Amino acid sequence: MTAMAGLGIAVAFKPGPASAEASEIVVCNWGGAALEAFQKAYGEPFKAKSGMEVVIDGAGPATGAIRAMVDSKNVTWDATDGGMVDAVVLGKGGFVEPIDYSIVDKSLVGEGLAAEFGICNYTYSNVLAYDAKKVGATAPSSWNDFFDLEKFPGKRTMCKWIQGQLEAVLLADGVKPEEMYPLDVDRAFKKLEPLLPQLIFWESGAQSQQLFRDGEVVMGNIWHTRANLLRKENPDYTWTWNQNLMFASAWSVPKGNPAGKKVFDFINSSLDPESQVTLLRLMGNGPSNPKALALMTDEDKAVYSLAPENAKTGLPISAQYYADNEAELQNKFLDFISR
Amino acid sequence: MTSFQRWAFCLTVPAALLTLCLYVLPILQVLALSFTEPTFGLGNYVALFQNAAIGRVVRTTVFVSAVTTVLTIVMSYAVAFALVHMPPATRRVALFMVMVPFWISVLVRAFAWITILRRNGVLNSALVGSGAVSQPLELVYNQFGVVVGMVHYMMPFAIMLLYANLSEIDLRIIQAARSLGARPVTIFFRVWLPLSMPGLAIAGLFIVIFSLGFLVTPAILGAGRVLMVAEYISVQISSTLRWGVATALSTMLLLVVGILIALAMRSPALRAAFEGGRK
Repeated sequence: MTAMAGLGIAVAFKPGPASAEASEIVVCNWGGAALEAFQKAYGEPFKAKSGMEVVIDGAGPATGAIRAMVDSKNVTWDATDGGMVDAVVLGKGGFVEPIDYSIVDKSLVGEGLAAEFGICNYTYSNVLAYDAKKVGATAPSSWNDFFDLEKFPGKRTMCKWIQGQLEAVLLADGVKPEEMYPLDVDRAFKKLEPLLPQLIFWESGAQSQQLFRDGEVVMGNIWHTRANLLRKENPDYTWTWNQNLMFASAWSVPKGNPAGKKVFDFINSSLDPESQVTLLRLMGNGPSNPKALALMTDEDKAVYSLAPENAKTGLPISAQYYADNEAELQNKFLDFISR
Repeated sequence: MTSFQRWAFCLTVPAALLTLCLYVLPILQVLALSFTEPTFGLGNYVALFQNAAIGRVVRTTVFVSAVTTVLTIVMSYAVAFALVHMPPATRRVALFMVMVPFWISVLVRAFAWITILRRNGVLNSALVGSGAVSQPLELVYNQFGVVVGMVHYMMPFAIMLLYANLSEIDLRIIQAARSLGARPVTIFFRVWLPLSMPGLAIAGLFIVIFSLGFLVTPAILGAGRVLMVAEYISVQISSTLRWGVATALSTMLLLVVGILIALAMRSPALRAAFEGGRK
């Protein structure tokens, strides 16, 4: 109920223009290690170029939070770090500004990464991560192995949030990548049902890491960025790029953002290959600018979803499909896993 | 009303106004969305009753809340009963122990339970190590784990409420019962229990109302496998943007709690509890 009360306060009090000065850009991301990393990769270079301070707020730009801000005309964020799906959904609802492509250079990002209400700031993947100590001599190498309890006994983890979950299940069930969408939900549930007793569902990246550290699971469907952090801690934790599920994250601009058009200068600056490689090295978030590949070492490419050898078996997640179906599907999924 | 009473009543006006303007009105504004979003009318409420998934969420919530309430009451009564019978020095220490969890965040407590209950956790390691069980038990990421976490959260509240009630019972009544030849068991069931009804009633009501709205504990200890109303509402608010359904469900929750309180206030035990201390 606190969320509701918060919304209520926001609705009851309509302060004047938001407190952010137009001399700064306020970026909202998901917090944790990303606070410092965004400042280093995006904030510092932008300040050097424009003299404008970049403030990173780690509150988490959930679509509900953006909607509450815009509805109450109390917008404090200039750029939000959400998924490409969120950008489409928020655009449809009229809660975000269209990206101004007279300021933002569309050609800086790869094919299909620039949309009306969002432009890709980085890419990441859901991958099959595993604990090499626990899986025996042969490592799991496909989603098929995720379902093979005989060869790989033990618990697995999947995410409570729907994007990229059923795709893995359907790949294991033999659906061809090019025939993935629209998802055959009933088929996916049927395949997943027998595995439910062996599953623990994570809801935050930190939790997905903890399940591996605690030895609770032998493998899982987790973000490659988190698998990368795990591997840095302990090389026993690793992942396969085979059948990885590729996501585009995106900048969106809430309607009536305090810094106005200036935010697009920031967005444009964040597409700089140097900035993007910095973020890759700090977090594993992959560049959306193809030119960044030329700046990468082999070590960098090993954690980059869009590096040619990693992308070749990858399945691009359809933002349009989720924009149309996510709410319905998310509720169905929560209902299914809690039976 | 004497003029002093009027003056005393006026002291409550600022707080009441503040609550009304900053809390009640905004919440009503938000709850009104359930009639206007996405279209005007009662559509959201009709959907609540037609949606099988919401029915399951409500059933889970009621079941988990009921089990939590019964377990909390039984265990808290035992602790409160012991507190009443302790020498004062021991009681001070015991009360301190009861209060400690109060000062620890609900999030930390949920994660602490995971550490204890998980597959390779403290409890399972001890059980497997001692040979009591051959396979680790499934103690968390299910309803059992959620109930453990919720009972642990609610017990300090229940203990304080019951202790306040039990310590008001006149011990001379107990002595009278004993001198009339009643056995300890009889004394408990015929004297202690009836006299502690007000405390039990108010503690029970308090826990039920609290449990219905639990969010963090079921989300963490249930890990997706135990979906309760508060989490369902939170998902609809922050990720699926179905504010109409979310606010309709919140309104229903508020109504149910209101009805529970109204019903409870009709019972003599609760009325006595709220008028406690006026001997």
